[in-house]
Amino acid sequence: MDKVFIDGLSFAAPLFIMAMGAIYSEKSGITNLAVEGFQGFGAFVGALTAILLMPVLGDGSQAVIYIAMLAAFVGGGIYACLHALLCIKFRANQVISGVVINILAVALTTFLTSTINKSLNGDASNKFVLGVFNRYTIPGLSQIPVIGALFRNMYPFEFIMIVVAIVAWYLMYRTRFGMRMRACGENPQAVDAAGGNVDRTRFISVMISGALSGVGGICFAYSISANFSPSIYMGYGYLAIAAMIFGNWNILPTGAVCLFFGLAKAGGYQLCLSMGLPSNYSDLFMMLPYVLTLILLVFFSKRNHPPKAAGEPYDKGKR
Amino acid sequence: MEDYIVEMRHITKRFPGIIANDDVTIQVKRGEVYALLGENGAGKSTLMSMLFGMYEPDMGEILINGEPVKFRSSNDATAHSIGMVHQHFKLVDNYTVAENIVLGVEPMKRTLGIFPSVDLKTANREIAELSKTYGLEVNPTDVIENIPVSVRQRVEILKMLYRKAEILIFDEPTAVLTPQEIEFLLKIIDGLRKSGKTIILITHKIEEIKKIADRCAILYRGRLVKVLDVQSTSSQDMANMMVGREVDFNPTKTPANYRGDVLEVSHLTVQNANKFDVVKDVSFKIRSGEVFAVAGVSGNGQGELADAVSGLMKVYSGSIKLCGQDVTNDSIRQRLESGISYIPEDRQGVGVFLDFTLGDNLAIRKYYKQPFSQGGILHFSEFENYADKLIDRYDIRCGQGRKTSLRSMSGGNQQKAIVAREIEEHAKLIIFVQPTRGLDIGAIENIHKQILAERDRGAAILLISLELDEIMELADTIGVIYNGQMMKIADASTLTSLDVGRYMMGVKEA
Repeated sequence: MDKVFIDGLSFAAPLFIMAMGAIYSEKSGITNLAVEGFQGFGAFVGALTAILLMPVLGDGSQAVIYIAMLAAFVGGGIYACLHALLCIKFRANQVISGVVINILAVALTTFLTSTINKSLNGDASNKFVLGVFNRYTIPGLSQIPVIGALFRNMYPFEFIMIVVAIVAWYLMYRTRFGMRMRACGENPQAVDAAGGNVDRTRFISVMISGALSGVGGICFAYSISANFSPSIYMGYGYLAIAAMIFGNWNILPTGAVCLFFGLAKAGGYQLCLSMGLPSNYSDLFMMLPYVLTLILLVFFSKRNHPPKAAGEPYDKGKR
Repeated sequence: MEDYIVEMRHITKRFPGIIANDDVTIQVKRGEVYALLGENGAGKSTLMSMLFGMYEPDMGEILINGEPVKFRSSNDATAHSIGMVHQHFKLVDNYTVAENIVLGVEPMKRTLGIFPSVDLKTANREIAELSKTYGLEVNPTDVIENIPVSVRQRVEILKMLYRKAEILIFDEPTAVLTPQEIEFLLKIIDGLRKSGKTIILITHKIEEIKKIADRCAILYRGRLVKVLDVQSTSSQDMANMMVGREVDFNPTKTPANYRGDVLEVSHLTVQNANKFDVVKDVSFKIRSGEVFAVAGVSGNGQGELADAVSGLMKVYSGSIKLCGQDVTNDSIRQRLESGISYIPEDRQGVGVFLDFTLGDNLAIRKYYKQPFSQGGILHFSEFENYADKLIDRYDIRCGQGRKTSLRSMSGGNQQKAIVAREIEEHAKLIIFVQPTRGLDIGAIENIHKQILAERDRGAAILLISLELDEIMELADTIGVIYNGQMMKIADASTLTSLDVGRYMMGVKEA
C-alpha cells in the first residue's frame, strides 16, 4: 500500500506541473496539444545539460539535477515559442500546430541525442543516461498512518512542484498579468479595448506553458526512466491535457485529478504484482489511467467550461 | 474662435470595395451632446473607430483640444481621455463587474507587503462610489453573465468614467434596450453632459436625437450631408436627409381581406431546457391575408412561440395545424416544404451562414431541389442566376455582388437578404420575429412594405415584435402575451396602444 502512495505521488507531481502548463496556454486562449512535445524537448535540453555537466561536477552530484531542471525550464519555454509564433503571429490552426510540434520534438530530439552521443563517445545511442534523484523522508509527517506514506521516500522535486503550483496559482489569479491572461482566453476584444496587449500576453503564457511542461519532462526522466530517450514520449503530455479538462481548467481540481491518475497507475501496477501475474501483464495494468480517462470523459464533458476564445486566432478587425 | 474639444478634418477612409468615409469634417464643442445620424453602413461607426484609435484614417487629421494627434491604438485614445461604448460590448463574461471595469488599469497592492497583486477590494469600493455619483446602479461583485444587457451597458459606461474619460462615444447604445431602459439611459447621458462631459452619440433613431442631442451631423453613404441644430430642424427633414429621399412614415394599408384559416394553434405549451413552461396553453388562428401580431415585453414567451411553430423548439403539448394539416411533430424541413417561411430574431445565428457568400445564402432553402441540384450534383449557374435576380429585385446592397460574404454586409442588408429568400418561397405562413430590430428608417420602411405586400398576396403573417409602434402600424389582429399566456386577442382597430401596453404588463381586463 505504501508503495502505491509513494509511486503515485512521484508520478502525479510531474503530471501536475505539465497540466498546469497546459492550463496556462489554454486560459490565455491558445489551444495546447503540444504539451507532449514541450515536455520531451524540455527534458532533452535538461538531459543534455546534465551529461555535459556530469564530467565537471561528478557523476553523483545532485547539483547537476537542479541545473538540469532549470535548463529544462528554459528549453521548454524556448521551444514553446514555436507554437506561440505559429498560433499567434501566423494565426495557424492551433490543433494542427500542436500536433506538428509534438512530432517535430520526437524526431528532432531523437536525432540530436544520437548525433551528440556519437560525437561525445563514438556510440550513436539514443539515450542520455542520467541516474535518479535521491529520495527523502519527512520526519514526523511520515509517521501518520496510511497517508504518512505520502511523505516517505519523496523525490525533492515533489516539494519544488508544490512551490511552483502556488506561484502559478498566485500569478494566474492574483496578479495583473493573470487577470489579463484569463480575459484573453474569454474575450480578447475586451482586453484589447481595455488597453491590454492580447498577442504579447498570449505569447508569454505559451512560453510559461512550455517551461512548466519542460520541468515536468525532466522530472520524469530523472525518476521513472533514469535516462532520456525517445521513450519519454509515452503520452504523459496528453494525460496532462486530460487532467486539465477534468479539472475544468482550474489549478486545484486539476491537481486532484493528477493525484488520482498517479494513484491509479501505481495501484494498477501493485495490483498486478500482488496477483502474481507475469510481468507482461503489467503493461495491461498500465492502461488503467487511460481507461479511467475514457470513463471520466463521459461524465465530465458536459459540465465543462473551457475558455471561450481558446482555439480562435485573435483578429482585431472581426466584429 | 469656438472651443472645439474634438475636430476631425477632411477624413477619408477606404476599405476594399467601398469608401467608408469620404472627406468628412466634424467639430464637437466641449460639453455638448453631438449626434451622428445615418443609415446602417453610412460610415458613422467607422468615423468613430478612427477617433477611438481602432483604425487610422487614410487622409485627414484629428485634433483634440486643438492639438493634432495620431492614434495608433485605443490606448492612445484613452490617454487623451476618450472612451467608447461599443455596440457589441467588450466584456469578459465570467468576470465580475469590478474586474471588467479595472481590466487594463488595475489598482495594485502588496500582499504581505511583498507580492504585487490586483487590489479588488479597492476596485469594488471605488466602483461603488462612482456608480453612486453618476446614478449608474451596479453591484461590483456581480458576474457579467448573470446580469441583464442594460446593466452590462452601465458597466461599459462606468469603464469609461473609471478611466476619467472626458469625451464619451456611444455606438448605437439603445439598440439593445427596452423603451424604459432607453429613457433611463437618456437621463444618464443628460446627467453626464451636466457634469461637463462631451458626448458623441451614434444612432439612427431620430426621436432620441430630438430628445437629447444639441447638434447633429448627418452622414449618407460615407459623406457628410449636413451639420444641423437639432432644436430648429423637424424630424421629417432629418429622416429625409439621412435616407437621401422622401421617407413615408405611414405606409398605406389596404383594408384586410381574410380568406380561409392558415395556421391554427391550439392549447400549445412549450418547455425550455429547464423543463419550465415558457408558453402556456396558447390558442389562436391566423387567416390568409391577415397580419397577426404578438405584442409583449421581451422574454414573455413570444420567441419560444415562434420557435415552436417553425419547429426549432419541441412542442410539449397542444397542436399546430397548417391549412388543416397537423404539423405538430413534423421536422423543420417538412414544415418549410408544407409552406412556412421564417425570419428569425437572431438573424446572424439562425438566419444565415455568415461566412458563406450572399449567393449561397439566398439559395439555401432550395439548394437540394431542381434545378439547383440534380442527382446530388449542384448546378452553380442556377445559384448565380437566382442570386442575381433576387439582389436586383430586393435591392440588396453588397460590395461584390453575389460573391460578397454575409459577414461583410451591413445588418440591414443581411436582413434584406433573409427576407428576400423567405418571401421568394411564396409561403402560406410567414413568421417575422423582430424583423426590424437594429435597422434604420429606410430599411424598416422597406421591410414594412414587404410584410404588407405579402399579406395582400394572401399569406398569413405571424409578426412578433417588441416595438409597439410597429405592431399598431401593421397588425390586423393583436395578441398580447404575458408570462407565456395569451392575455388578449382582439381586432387591432378595437385596441389603442395604451390598452396593449396594459395587457403587456399583465393586467387581465383593461
